[in-house]
Amino acid sequence: MKGKIVSIHSFRGGTGKSNTTANLAAQVAMAGKRVGVVDTDIQSPGIHVLFGLDEDKMGKTLNDFLHDKATIREIGFPIGENASGAAGRAKLAGKNLWLFPSSIRGREISQILKEGIDFNRLNEGLQSTIKEFDLDYLFIDTHPGLNEETLLSIATSDILIIILRPDQQDLQGTSVTVDIARSLDVPNLILMVNKALPKYDFVELRKDIESKFNAPVAGILPLSFDLADNASNDLFSLSTPDHEWSRSLREVAQAVLTLG
Amino acid sequence: MPGVFDRLNKEIQDKQQEGGITALDLADLPPALRKIMRLMLREIQMNYPRLCEVMDAMPERERLTRDELQGALSTLTSQFWLIRIGEGEKAIYKVNLRRKAGSTLAAGIWSSLDEKLKRNPKDT
Repeated sequence: MKGKIVSIHSFRGGTGKSNTTANLAAQVAMAGKRVGVVDTDIQSPGIHVLFGLDEDKMGKTLNDFLHDKATIREIGFPIGENASGAAGRAKLAGKNLWLFPSSIRGREISQILKEGIDFNRLNEGLQSTIKEFDLDYLFIDTHPGLNEETLLSIATSDILIIILRPDQQDLQGTSVTVDIARSLDVPNLILMVNKALPKYDFVELRKDIESKFNAPVAGILPLSFDLADNASNDLFSLSTPDHEWSRSLREVAQAVLTLG
Repeated sequence: MPGVFDRLNKEIQDKQQEGGITALDLADLPPALRKIMRLMLREIQMNYPRLCEVMDAMPERERLTRDELQGALSTLTSQFWLIRIGEGEKAIYKVNLRRKAGSTLAAGIWSSLDEKLKRNPKDT
């Protein structure tokens, strides 16, 4: 099947999910692939910031599509044609990368919370995005925890990346997500550890987590003040490619490319 | 006067109002039914010959016989998890996902919030 769906998930908030998703999508686009990123975190969207979009630049959104006010074609924002403003993002000029953002308007978010979501429409949107934009990969940034839209994206994904921190709460939550992913027959499940303290032995940590979940760890990314200092102003792995965080993120991107 | 496409589309929409499957239901399905539903989620809709084609392309251990496939389709359509339009070889199957329910908060809370958000010029 052409066009792989890659869902990025974490059981708890604050794991760096959107940051990771944006950087992974950028790395895969830099490898010459046609890439889409959908923000299905409709109640708390944020990934658009990493691609330099604000409310004024955004145009039509996933919310418009869900309410039949826009087509998928209309909501795809071509990042490669608007790559400017920050050193990292500028490297995406000419690359085939589209963002399908969720609305950041209060009324549109509250409308979704009030009225619910037509999942047939959402799923048709996700699948037609791949066809209409002839994508090699569609990355889905999900809401943390397990809600209905997250479960749908897990159920339709070819590759599920679960992000966790080396923290007992994250480890327990990840167990739940791994169980659900397996019961939904997700073909490829990979783990990514983020915000690991540099004092840890990363080789031992990888071994422990792989053995606990019986799933491969594609990368262990260190807790980084440099990344925090970036404050979502740019795509860190492109602006600071030699940083350890960026090198480890490229390992995860490579795992995605290998599975695809 | 509506054309054939409009009529079929209306038929699908009417049937989609009647229940539907959730992602959690998917996890509880027997493997053969789940396989079909996952496939349908990706393809959105398929006719019977295309389903057979995809089934034949699967590894032998995962493949369903024609009888198993027919039985699975019949179970899924009887639950309204798949919608069948038409009959026999020409039938088209389409996945039917249950809508995410809206909030159960009192309507007054939402209208009050809406009024307040309207005052933000960017939200109008």
